Amino acid sequence: MASNPPPPPDQGSPKWGSPANPAPAPGQGSPNFGSPANPVQPGGPPPGPPPAGPASPGGQPAGAPGWAPQPGMPFPFRRGPLGIPIPDISRMPGPGGPFPPQQVPPGTPFAPPPAMAQPPAAAPAPPGSYTCPWCSMSSQTPGTSCPSCGAPVDVRAIQDTSGWTQLPAVKDMARIQFGQSTCQIEGTVVPVADVTLDGGESVYFMHHTLLFRDDGVTIDTLKLRGGWSRTFAGMPLVMVQATGKGHIAFSHDAAGEIVALPIQVGSGVEVREHTMLIASGATAYDWVMSGIYFTTMKGQNEQETHYPMGQFLDRFTAPRAPGLVLLHAKGNAFVRRLGPGETMLIKPTALLYKDLSVSMHLHFEHPAGAYRSWRSWGNRYLWLRCIGPGRVAVESAFVPVEDPGFDLMGSSPATRQQW
Amino acid sequence: MEAVGQRIECQWCHGQSPAGAQSCVTCGAPLDVRNLVSDSGWREAPRLRDMTEFHFGSSSCQVEGELVPVAEITLSPEDGVFFEHHVMLWKDQTVPVGVMPLQGMMKRSFAGMPHIVTTARGPGRIAFSRDATGELVVLPLHPSMELDAREHAFLLASHTVQYSYTRIQGMRTALFGGQGMFMDRFIAAGQPGLLILHGYGNVFERQLAAGQSILLEPGAYLYKDSSVQMTVETQKLSTGLFGGAGLHMVRMTGPGRLGIQSMYVHHATE
Repeated sequence: MASNPPPPPDQGSPKWGSPANPAPAPGQGSPNFGSPANPVQPGGPPPGPPPAGPASPGGQPAGAPGWAPQPGMPFPFRRGPLGIPIPDISRMPGPGGPFPPQQVPPGTPFAPPPAMAQPPAAAPAPPGSYTCPWCSMSSQTPGTSCPSCGAPVDVRAIQDTSGWTQLPAVKDMARIQFGQSTCQIEGTVVPVADVTLDGGESVYFMHHTLLFRDDGVTIDTLKLRGGWSRTFAGMPLVMVQATGKGHIAFSHDAAGEIVALPIQVGSGVEVREHTMLIASGATAYDWVMSGIYFTTMKGQNEQETHYPMGQFLDRFTAPRAPGLVLLHAKGNAFVRRLGPGETMLIKPTALLYKDLSVSMHLHFEHPAGAYRSWRSWGNRYLWLRCIGPGRVAVESAFVPVEDPGFDLMGSSPATRQQW
Repeated sequence: MEAVGQRIECQWCHGQSPAGAQSCVTCGAPLDVRNLVSDSGWREAPRLRDMTEFHFGSSSCQVEGELVPVAEITLSPEDGVFFEHHVMLWKDQTVPVGVMPLQGMMKRSFAGMPHIVTTARGPGRIAFSRDATGELVVLPLHPSMELDAREHAFLLASHTVQYSYTRIQGMRTALFGGQGMFMDRFIAAGQPGLLILHGYGNVFERQLAAGQSILLEPGAYLYKDSSVQMTVETQKLSTGLFGGAGLHMVRMTGPGRLGIQSMYVHHATE
């Protein structure tokens, strides 16, 4: 994987704001991106960040109007088979507000949400302590692995020449401390997170990752809002919380690694859906629109919206106390830290997690010399452009991106490059 | 590892190997690696080293590969193995194969169990593997030992092992226990035998005391002693207007061994 510099102005440069396609004025309603009146332009909107402004707990940018039909905005239903109106989930209100394409005036400087722009710098480590290079947490007696994230202390970072660093596999039987409870990582092929709850802590999880539990641990449903949206988006409707005293263990159903992410107070991460294994009770959970989609047209009126990385992202923050999130990465996990403005193209389905300060949008790439027929998919490659600053992690065993190859009618903000 | 005179006792199968051996001659478990036991009492099944060789009867088995390991059997003329035919990877042309007579063909059809269990006899080589990342669990069976295994989890067994199947007691357990109405039962009646299972992901084992119980994800169950009792418990997870889901878990009650796999087969909740 190689670093991709921002495209030169004459290639994948933004055409948004050009005389042919002027940028909407601030406060103007969102353009119906991809409609006949405003088709997708080669080059698309700028490779810029998402709308600036402080993020609400639901992920809605501050200042954005609450969801209400706007002039020119389509009704959130679309015509289904036999003319029956069915909900168009791409335009339904959710915790992140309406879902029209994001508009970014050209030249807007990147302004991450101020509350959680960057992970706060770790406090200076006391002399003689060990600071983990992965989670930046300090500990006095790390033993053979970091007590905060389980990373081995006696293994050097493996970094390839392009800047990706392979996350070190957590050693078999390594322990991770959170509060007074511990989590032991067992196994190496499909590792198990075996949590010993002390009685004062809790963890929550998706119910299908539960492997075994003692009788002393009780489980109950964690209240989630937005059940309809989660149902439509294919996200788990049930999140389960475990409390009590005893052992409870979790594992996923694919070969891979467990990635432990300690979250410092005031910081957070966004995680691709269905990769979470557990989170500690001190970690706040929310889900936000991914804002990554494109629409294709098959035939005359068979329009379909695709979410190459899912419709939602899981967001974990630590509002009051340090938290811990365990993810399951399929295959191996790699991470890199992007500098401000630095970009990287990754496969949308390979994203594992990212810092909140990392923005992203779609990038369509068309290889040179490709023949495009009425039925071909136009030889387009679909990428996710991540823009720093912040960490971006990928997993090596990712599923192929869903792209039927039909005519592209619209998308979330995207860039395009024709070679 | 315990030295017994000039012999070393394997902590996995309790077989004895010559002093200085790197792996157990009975089950292939490495002898120079300490047991990995979690705080909750689960012991990891020994990770067999690549190219480890062990013996049963007058035949031998060599384990090859680490992600999806292969069990390569060198059969002597007096030995044989039986298996489900779709796990056969390759064999010598001279190794004859046959079909084991089974009872209750109609029940097996309804239960989704294999209709045909294939046998192979020596001399010659034959190899087996499954279709997913995991590890081989080598279980030498001593006389009078009975062991139940999740259906389709067994890779092969030696011809001295009696193969049967047992009906899972209780309609709820059969419906929501994660493996249908029957499970395989292997019995070493008069002489020792060998059973090799393939567990998806990592495999863990624990010894349940009499009356001790634990709740399992149904798809995680891999094997147990026949003395371990299995029942299903259901917990309603309510989500208000959306109804909710029923979370089924299997309660295993000792005494006896219990083995689980970490990459379990997930069965959707109701």
